Amino acid sequence: MISRAATLLVVVAVIGFLPNLSESLRFDLQSGHTKCIAEDIKSNSMTVGNYHVQNPNENTPLPDSHKLTVRVTSSYGNSYHYAEHVESGQYAFTAAESGDYMACFWLPDHSPAITATVDFEWKTGVAAKDWGNVAKKGQIDVMELELKKLLDTVNSIHEEMFYLRDREEEMQELNRTTNSRMFWLGFLSLFVCLSVAGLQFWHLKNFFERKKLL
Amino acid sequence: MDGKSCRRLQSANLCLTFSFLLHFATQSASALSITVNKEECVSETVLFPGDTVSGNFVVIDHDIFWTPQHTGIRFTITSPVGNQVLDVKGTSGHKFEFKAPRSGAYKFCFYNPVAAPEIVSFYIHTGHIPHQHDKATDEHFNPVNVRIAELREALHSVTAEQKYLKAREVRHRFTNESTRNRVIFYTLMEYVLLAIASGLQVVYIRRLFGKSIAYNRI
Repeated sequence: MISRAATLLVVVAVIGFLPNLSESLRFDLQSGHTKCIAEDIKSNSMTVGNYHVQNPNENTPLPDSHKLTVRVTSSYGNSYHYAEHVESGQYAFTAAESGDYMACFWLPDHSPAITATVDFEWKTGVAAKDWGNVAKKGQIDVMELELKKLLDTVNSIHEEMFYLRDREEEMQELNRTTNSRMFWLGFLSLFVCLSVAGLQFWHLKNFFERKKLL
Repeated sequence: MDGKSCRRLQSANLCLTFSFLLHFATQSASALSITVNKEECVSETVLFPGDTVSGNFVVIDHDIFWTPQHTGIRFTITSPVGNQVLDVKGTSGHKFEFKAPRSGAYKFCFYNPVAAPEIVSFYIHTGHIPHQHDKATDEHFNPVNVRIAELREALHSVTAEQKYLKAREVRHRFTNESTRNRVIFYTLMEYVLLAIASGLQVVYIRRLFGKSIAYNRI
């Protein structure tokens, strides 16, 4: 009984700690090219990202031609992470300003053009929170942790709805002002047209009267 | 695991087992934007066969100059063995959801027929519900965990809808701002051109009748 449970535990522990079971996005990067991935992040939200280049040959260490350069910048141009010629890395920061944050990957030039496969993961908000820590600190069991995660997800959905509502209000305001400007511009159009025609007429009439042709 | 089922279990080790299994009931979601020049592919790994893969994408185009021949970009999903799961052409946005028959890396590709690069904002989520179709055959199985996982998946689908709406709203905003700029600046430029055209007309007529009419006979 004990040995069976122990083996089961060992098997599960092995599965639980296999590093590449976390899912991530994978894309190809050609040498000399840059690929940028952007994410819209709100201010004061945690964001975590990690990347690593897949080794084409398992036995040898990664060649220099496959080492990439990474830069994470905000939409205002501030750089939050920079790494040069690395095989893997990670970054975590709290977004000070809200906007589009870009993570750009660049592979140096190489004469036979090579393609490196990069595994990349970028989590923000609820997914970026360190749930292991939360569980340890509060000493809460797994089901309560899952329910806490669900509660946080629901709250973030609610906040997103507020944001969408504000944006919709701004857009409606924009459309309304465009509409009212169109209205006034219609009258202005008519006025401009008539005044230009009237000025032309008056000027030419004076001109011909002066020239004694009329 | 809840306290009751743990107490029911004979061995605390099995408690730990299920907590591990529940812990990595995997969820992956990414809502990102990429610039598609000609072709951009992204792949995501599906861990368990039978998982639902859902997602959406919206093309945020600033220039809105698509012609009738190219009404959008092409989007394909390829399974790990090479079958085409989905292929849509000429769209500016699409929502998809399918049950992955096998595990592996699924490829999501965007193809841009036009020379101008397009920014695509996409969201892909693979959701797994552990033990969804198991019957409660032994007392170690707790249906609450399945319900929690289903709830989590439902929330992810709400999040997916929100991200889709947000991306569409961004595109709508670009369209509206562009309309407003066109309305105001082009109208003002129109007035200026009208004034210039009429001025040129006057100058020409004056020149026609400028010299004495008796001598030139125009």
